[in-house]
Amino acid sequence: MPNEPAVRRSEHRPREASRGFWAEAWSRYRRRPIGMLALGFVVFLTAVAVFAPAIAGTKPVICRYKGKLYAPCLGYFNRRWEAPIFTTDKFRGTYPQNLQDKDPQSWAVWPLVFQDPYRRVRENEWPGRSENPSRDEGRPSRLNLFGTDQYGVDIFAKMVHGTTIALLVGFVSMGLAGSIGIIVGALGGYFGGWVDMLTSRITEVVMCVPTLVLILALVAVVEKPTIWKTMAIIGATGWTGIARLTRAEFLRLKESEFVMAARAAGAGPLRIMLRHILPNALAPVLVPITFGIASAILIEGSLSFLGFGPPPPTASWGSILNSARSNLQLWWLVVFPGTGIFLTVLAYNLVGEAIQEVTDPRLREAKK
Amino acid sequence: MRQNEQGHGRWGSWWLTASIGAGLLGTAGLIGCGGSSSPSPAPPPELVESAEERKEPLPAVKLAPLEPFAAPPLVELDQEASWIDRPVQDGLVLLQQAQAEETVRGTVADALALRNDSADANATILAVLGRLPKPDEADLSARIDRHVGGDLGSTNPIMISTSAEFDILGLTGFGLFSFGRDLEPFAASETVVSWQTSTDRMLDKVVLRDDLVWSDGKPITAHDIAFTFQVIMDPRVPVPAVRSGTDQLRWVEAYDDHTVVFFHKEALATNVWNINFPVLPSHIYRQTWEADPTLKDSPEHVRLEQSPVCGGPYEIVERQRGQQIVLKRRASWSTVRGEQVREEPYFEEVRFRIIEDPNTTLLALKKGEIDEMILQPEQWMTQTVDDDFYARNTKATAPEWVSFHFGWNIDTVFFRDRRVRRAMSYAFNHDEMLEKLCYSLYEPCAGIFHPDAWMAGAKKPEPYKQDLDKAEALLDEAGWIDHDNDGVRDKEIDGRSVPFEFSIMVNQQPLRIAICTLLKENLDQIGVRLNVRPVESTVLQDLTQNHRFQAYFGGWGSGTDPDTSENLWKTGAMRNFCNYSNPEVDRLYEEGRQEFDRAKRAEKYARIQEILSDDQPYTWLYWRNSFYGFSKDLRGYVFSPRGPYHYSPGFGSLWKPRQE
Repeated sequence: MPNEPAVRRSEHRPREASRGFWAEAWSRYRRRPIGMLALGFVVFLTAVAVFAPAIAGTKPVICRYKGKLYAPCLGYFNRRWEAPIFTTDKFRGTYPQNLQDKDPQSWAVWPLVFQDPYRRVRENEWPGRSENPSRDEGRPSRLNLFGTDQYGVDIFAKMVHGTTIALLVGFVSMGLAGSIGIIVGALGGYFGGWVDMLTSRITEVVMCVPTLVLILALVAVVEKPTIWKTMAIIGATGWTGIARLTRAEFLRLKESEFVMAARAAGAGPLRIMLRHILPNALAPVLVPITFGIASAILIEGSLSFLGFGPPPPTASWGSILNSARSNLQLWWLVVFPGTGIFLTVLAYNLVGEAIQEVTDPRLREAKK
Repeated sequence: MRQNEQGHGRWGSWWLTASIGAGLLGTAGLIGCGGSSSPSPAPPPELVESAEERKEPLPAVKLAPLEPFAAPPLVELDQEASWIDRPVQDGLVLLQQAQAEETVRGTVADALALRNDSADANATILAVLGRLPKPDEADLSARIDRHVGGDLGSTNPIMISTSAEFDILGLTGFGLFSFGRDLEPFAASETVVSWQTSTDRMLDKVVLRDDLVWSDGKPITAHDIAFTFQVIMDPRVPVPAVRSGTDQLRWVEAYDDHTVVFFHKEALATNVWNINFPVLPSHIYRQTWEADPTLKDSPEHVRLEQSPVCGGPYEIVERQRGQQIVLKRRASWSTVRGEQVREEPYFEEVRFRIIEDPNTTLLALKKGEIDEMILQPEQWMTQTVDDDFYARNTKATAPEWVSFHFGWNIDTVFFRDRRVRRAMSYAFNHDEMLEKLCYSLYEPCAGIFHPDAWMAGAKKPEPYKQDLDKAEALLDEAGWIDHDNDGVRDKEIDGRSVPFEFSIMVNQQPLRIAICTLLKENLDQIGVRLNVRPVESTVLQDLTQNHRFQAYFGGWGSGTDPDTSENLWKTGAMRNFCNYSNPEVDRLYEEGRQEFDRAKRAEKYARIQEILSDDQPYTWLYWRNSFYGFSKDLRGYVFSPRGPYHYSPGFGSLWKPRQE
C-alpha cells in the first residue's frame, strides 16, 4: 500500500505485524482473480445445493393448509420431513390441484421451476401446463430448460438436485479422509520410531487398495447401498496422500524452536501436536484435500455413469450421463451434466492451486 | 443370454433379467437349424433371466447315479407294444408349403423401400422379405455375419445353456427332433427315418438314417445317442441345462446302429420333449470322459473345445475368444459316399461377431459389418428411423412369448397376505409404463401364458389397471395402516411396529430401473416406501434363487410346453423364487402332464393361470416383442413365438439372393 500516508502506516504497524498466517494467506488469495472466481463458483454451488428444493421441485416451498404452515419441499431432502398429513389426505404427490380442492383457503409459495427430479411431470399437473416429452423429443425448451431424458424426467431439476450429491460426496469423503490422514500422519511424524514405522506401512498398504474396485464389491455385497457408504469408502481409501504430507510437516516442525520451547514449558504431546504443530502444518494439507474433493466428485460421477452410483431415482450428474449412453444423439444429456462436472472439478482444482500458491513461501518466492 | 432350449422346452424358463436387449431371451435354438431344419432339439422352455449370465448350473437336486437297467430285447418290445407312428418332417418343407398358400403382398423392391413405421408396413416386410428362395435364386456361396451378445461358455453341445450357445450350437449340433413355428414337435427327416411311440406312452422308438457322418468322417449311430444319455446323467458331469427333462427318462438303449429306444419313467405329455437332447460323438468321448468327467479340463478336452467334432450342417473352423466364431458349411452333411443326400444350407459361411454393447452393435449394423441384430425398443423407436439406417438395412417386429414381472417374496411379512400383493398390482401405473416407458411397443401381460398360446385357454385374465383407492382399501383391510402418523403405513407384527418399507432388486438396465422407479413413485403416493436396488444380474440370480429378497424385477421366456412353467409355481420348485405354494396348482400341474387331450390340458393350465392371477405372486407387466434389424441383403426371416431363429427351420430359412 505505497500510496497510504506515512502516518497512518505507522499507526497500523503493530496490528499488521500481528496479522496471522491465515489472514495473510486470505489477503493474498483475494488478489487472485481466478482463485476468487473459482471460490465464488463453489459458494454458488453450495447455495444451489442448499436451496435445491426451492429452485426446482413440484412441492410447495411453504404452504398454508387447513390453518397450518408446512414446508413440503423439505421432503426432497428427507422423505420424513414432508408432513404426513399430505399422505393421509391422499395428495398422492401432486400438490397444485389438491391444495385447491381440499382447502380453498390454502396458499403456497412454489419453487422457481415447477419440475421434479424424480418423475415425469404430467399433463395439467400444474393447471394448463403440458406434460414432459419423453423418448428422444425432450430437447431443451421453455418448460424444460435443459431438456428431459428418455423417460420424461426434467434434466434441469436433476442437475439442481444432483448438486447436493456432488458437493456432499466431496465434503464428506474428504472430511473423513482429512481426519484419518491428519491423525495417522501426526502420530507417525511426531512420535517417530516404531509408531512411524507402523503408520507408514499401513499408509502404504492402503495406497494399494483400488477405490473403484472396492466400491463395486461393496455395491454387490451390501444389502442397502447408499451414497453415504460410497462416500465412506472414498474417504477411507483416499487419506494416504494427506497422511504422508502431514507426517512430513510434523517431522520438520517437531524439531523447530517453538516446539522445543513448548516442550520445555511442560506441554504434553497432545497439546504440542494440536495446539502448536497442527496449525502450522495445516496449509500444505489443505491442498491435497481440495484436490481430493475434485477427484471424489469425479469418482462419484464415474460410478453413477457405470450404474453403481446412489440408488435410483436419486439425481446425480453421473447418472444423467449414464442415461445418455443409450442414445448419444440426445446431446443435452451429455452437455449439461458434463459441463457441470467439468466446471466443478476445475473450480476445486483452481481453489487448491491458489491455496498452494498463497501458503507456500517457496512458491511465493519463486513468483517474485 | 438366453437360454435356450434345446431341449425342448425342457429346460425351463430363462431368466431375462438381464439383458433386454442384447440377448435376451433365449430362445431356444434349435439345434440344428441349419440349412434346413435340422434335427434339432426341442424348444426350450422357459426363460432365463438374463440369460446371458447363466453359466452355472441351476442348483440342482443332488443327483444319484443312474441305476442300471436291463433293456428287454427289441423283438420282445415289438411284440408287447403296439406302436403309433409319429410325424417325421422337414421344417423347411413345411414352411415352403405354408408360404405357397400365402398371397404375395408386393414386390421385393417395394418392401425394401418401405419404412417400418406401421403395422401394415411391418406385415408387408415380413411377408415379402420372409419368403423362401425360388430355385436358383439363393446365393449358396454367401456368408452371413450374425451378432451374438456374448461369447460361448463351451462348444460342447451338452453344456449348452446361454442363448449364444443355442445360436451357435444349433448349427453345429446333431439332433433327432425339432419343432415348428407352432411349437409342435416332430422328428427331423434329415436325420430320422421313423419315430414311433407305444400306445402306453412309455416307449419311443426312433430309426436313424444310415447316411449320417460326423465332421471327422465317422458315422453317426444310435450308440452315440445312448452314450450321450449316460454322460448327461452322470452326476460328475457338470451339465448346466440339458439334464432337466432328460432326467425324466429311465433309459436309452441302442439296439443296432440305427435303432434307438427311449424308456420313460412315466407316461407324460412332456415325454416328447424329454427325448430331445444334444448328442456327443461317442467314438471321441468314450475314451476321454472317464478320465475327465468335467469334459473340459484335460488336454484332450481342451483341444476338442477349440475344434469340436460336429454333427450338424456346420462346423466351427475358427474361434477367437471374445471376438468372433466362424462356422463353415460342411460337405459331409449333404454329400455322403459321393451322393447328395440332403439339401445344402443356404450359407456357406456363418460368422458370429461377439459385441456386447447394443450401441456398438447398431453402429456395426449400419456400417454393414453385421447382417442382423436384436434392436432395443429405444433403438427401434429413435435410432433406426432415418436414411442412415435404411441405407443398408430394414427392420421387423413380431410378438414373442417373453414376459416381465415384479415378483413378491411371499415369505416376507409384507407379501404373505394376498391382499397386499393385489394392492401392489393396483398401485402400479401400468398404462404409464406401457405408453411412456415402453413407448407402446409392448403388450400388457396379465398371466403366465401368452394370450395367443393354446394353453392360455378361452377365458383370459384381465390385466390390472391402476386404482389407488382400491390399493389403499386393500392395504387398510390387510392391517397396513399409518398408526403412528408418520406418513408410512405400518403394522404391528409380533409386538413390533413394522413400517411398510422394502427393496426391489432389478438388473442394471435403464428401462427396468425406470419401471421400478415408477413403482416407487406410485407406492409413495399410498404411503409405502420402496427402495430400488439395481444389482448385477449374477447377484440377482443368486439372491432370487436363495429366496433372499423382498421383491425383484425379472422375466421369463416361455417354453414350448406349458409344463415347463411347473418349476416356477410348484411348491418348492427350483425357480419358485417367490415361495408360492398352492396345493391346487400343484395338483393341476400333475394332472396337466398326464392329460393327453389338448383341449382338456388347456383347461387345466388356464385354471392355473386364473388362480395365479387371483393370487398375484407376481405383478405381471408386459410381453416383450422381438425387434430385429436385418441387412437388405437378407431374406427368409420368419418369426415364431420364440423369435426368428430358435425353431425349425428358424435360421435355416434365411438366405441371400444371388448378385446380379
